Amino acid sequence: MTRRGWAVLAGAVFLAFAAILGLLVRAVPRGDEGPDWTGQLVEGGWMAWTFPVAVFFLAIAALLALMTLLALRFPEQPRRGVLRIETTRGDRLFVTLLGSAFINLAWLYVFGIDGPPLWGALILCLVYAAAVFRWV
Amino acid sequence: MEKTQNNRAWFLVLPMLVIVAFSAVIPLMTVVNYSVNDTFGRNEFFWAGLEWFDETLRSERLWSALGRNALFSAIILAIEVPLGIFVALHMPKKGFWASFCLVVMALPLLVPFNVVGTIWQIFARTDIGLLGHTLWSLGIDYNYTANPLHAWLTIIVMDVWHWTSLVALLCYAALQSIPEAYYQAAKIDQASRWKVFRYIELPKMKGVLVIAILLRFMDSFMIYTEPFVVTGGGPGNSTTFLSIDLVKMAVGQFDLGPAAAFSIMYFLVILLVSWVFYTVMTNMDKEEGV
Repeated sequence: MTRRGWAVLAGAVFLAFAAILGLLVRAVPRGDEGPDWTGQLVEGGWMAWTFPVAVFFLAIAALLALMTLLALRFPEQPRRGVLRIETTRGDRLFVTLLGSAFINLAWLYVFGIDGPPLWGALILCLVYAAAVFRWV
Repeated sequence: MEKTQNNRAWFLVLPMLVIVAFSAVIPLMTVVNYSVNDTFGRNEFFWAGLEWFDETLRSERLWSALGRNALFSAIILAIEVPLGIFVALHMPKKGFWASFCLVVMALPLLVPFNVVGTIWQIFARTDIGLLGHTLWSLGIDYNYTANPLHAWLTIIVMDVWHWTSLVALLCYAALQSIPEAYYQAAKIDQASRWKVFRYIELPKMKGVLVIAILLRFMDSFMIYTEPFVVTGGGPGNSTTFLSIDLVKMAVGQFDLGPAAAFSIMYFLVILLVSWVFYTVMTNMDKEEGV
């Protein structure tokens, strides 16, 4: 595929995810006081979808799509990092996501629900992700 | 010959992906949704945010069940792995007795989990059970329904009875694959029995041992049916492991939110341990050039 072809494909994938995000925003229930961001997207639905959880899964799906595109466009060889184990980009993403889950839980355990918001943990996770992708 | 690369082969994986979506991904998504909601039934949900995670992380119940489960898995591995190796080393290599041993060893593995629980529940009873009554007749004050130590011993012995043969059979298969020439060479070098084990048999068993440890760890960490049938998690909460506690919370009390938060943490621990084992296994294979 040409360079232009890859750009079109990446753009199409990006637009698809943006469209899904737009649909999710549209599905957020609205009351007299504006949108209820934590309300049920499907009233009476057994899966109990809410906007934050839907965005969480959409972000993971977007990461997987990005990784697939990268693997097709720039095939790579596994490498050995500080853990002395062979890892590919996908492995490093897995280590990042798994570690991030524990970072968030640890943040909640240390500071509690009334402490600083989890955005702090998210910043820590991004630092951790950068370190994993650079050195693991 | 040049190897053809065709990414369209990935489409062949699609049917499997659909099955996994229905059996794992959709239930997992539902659990994540439930973990941030509260419900009183009738599919009515109310946003609870991180409340259940905070509550579960601070709950004495979760940590004690996790501690009991970790202790149980450690004891099980410490007994079943060496015992399995010992049994495999002493099993006949060929002839009638080899087949006989294989069939006898495979029998406990074929018994359904709830039947194993029922067998031991009756076997350990002091009024009609062979084990319980014999211990009682010997003057030992054995009662697994009232004494936590006795309940633990019963469950551990039951698990050892049920699963040691798996480790033994895996090790036996690995031992059978060692060519006779290795033993002859060791004999010529006058190697001791310990050295034959340490430098010939153990390296050959390494691969299957890692699989056996992984399987036994996962299974003992998720154990539910057998202790539930034998002790019901008691006496008190002494044999309430993570799965038993989770079922009590989700099905018994219908606390879907806290149970979902609990499930996610349980899942993360299992995922972490599985990843560590998987990485160790694959790296070991690469180092050996398999």
